[in-house]
Amino acid sequence: MADILTLVFRTFNQHNGKPKDFKSIAPSKCSTLVVGDCSVNRSLLILAAVTAASELGLKVSFFTQVQIQSLPGSLQESMSNLSPDNLKKIKFSYPRSLEDLLQDVASLHESASGSAAPPSLIIVDGLEGYLRGPGVSGGLQQAEQSSAAHISALLYDTAAFLTQTLEERAASLAPCRVIASFQSEWEGHAGGDSSDPVLSVLDRYFQVRCTLDQDWNSAPAVAGPQDTWHVYLSGAGITEDPIAKDEEVSSLAREWRLVICPNRSMEFTMV
Amino acid sequence: MPSFLPTVAKQLFKDIQKTYQEKTKIPDDLLIALRFVFGSCALQALDLVDQRSVTCVSSPSGRRAYQVIGGSGLLYTCYTSCHYCSCPAFAYTVLRRNESLLCKHILAAYLSQAMGLSQQEALSDQQMSSILSGRAARTDT
Ligand SMILES: [Zn+2]
Repeated sequence: MADILTLVFRTFNQHNGKPKDFKSIAPSKCSTLVVGDCSVNRSLLILAAVTAASELGLKVSFFTQVQIQSLPGSLQESMSNLSPDNLKKIKFSYPRSLEDLLQDVASLHESASGSAAPPSLIIVDGLEGYLRGPGVSGGLQQAEQSSAAHISALLYDTAAFLTQTLEERAASLAPCRVIASFQSEWEGHAGGDSSDPVLSVLDRYFQVRCTLDQDWNSAPAVAGPQDTWHVYLSGAGITEDPIAKDEEVSSLAREWRLVICPNRSMEFTMV
Repeated sequence: MPSFLPTVAKQLFKDIQKTYQEKTKIPDDLLIALRFVFGSCALQALDLVDQRSVTCVSSPSGRRAYQVIGGSGLLYTCYTSCHYCSCPAFAYTVLRRNESLLCKHILAAYLSQAMGLSQQEALSDQQMSSILSGRAARTDT
């Protein structure tokens, strides 16, 4: 299951403000691919990083090509445990090319020899930007697929290794999870289509997919412009999860509605 | 890499490990099964194992990876927990056409582990990082 994202959905739930029970979410090794519009993807990943750092005290390595200037104001209001010390647990890195990203992720194991604990969450924002760089554009679809497999496999192998390290050193910080985001441009379908050749490669390595589809039909209940998204979890990590087979848990956890308010705050409601 | 393999392949590697330890050869029935599951890759991979082309590299952090010298003399890096190889066959038959599970280099890594025939090499953590990132995959230092 996607434990961090599920925690995000519950924390930023429109209806139950306070009673959060993190304990009921079992830690999961499954890596998750967020597939949707790149700016919503990024907001969700930042939310995941801050939630993991402040609510669970986890160390986070966040990779992105886009400079993160400041945290959304709504986030600072809604998170009770948000403190500068917690935010220091998030390390932002800005690799500019796929080669730089590969090098950065490949060297994460070096921290396992040092005194500091390795990260428990690796986030990569905007894989599409790394995979469609100048070197791999045009008709070189096979090269793009190969690059997608390389970075996904490296993330998988790195998380598997760091999970082992964390289990030996600080079991409460294990496992090491991966969350990455991707915007599919296949046939102009932002939500992602399974016929996207790059997405089909990514799906081999990420056990859970979190799809964000813009919901054009739902009439806004509140006056004023707002974005509504349909969020759903799928993939082998969901369907083969023994806990999720429990009818009640699975139906609760798989589908959400996301409303992005004019002040950019995000609210999730169970569907 | 267990989650990336079907049960029949996992069992096959276990059987090969067991019989190879006892008899130091792979009996014909297992060779036939190997060819049945992996196609023409099987014999090519066994050749690579025979030529001791597979090296298990490790560094002080505890990280491990496989380096396989291909038929053309190029060096390919494979991960220990999931399937990836930078060779053209992996890109074409595995990723693009979805026709096979793995390439001969990954299969050679599995077989050399099962048969206990991989070379061992210690690297620094930094060398390991360059190999994992693909930066140093094709240098033959
Ligand atoms: Zn190969």
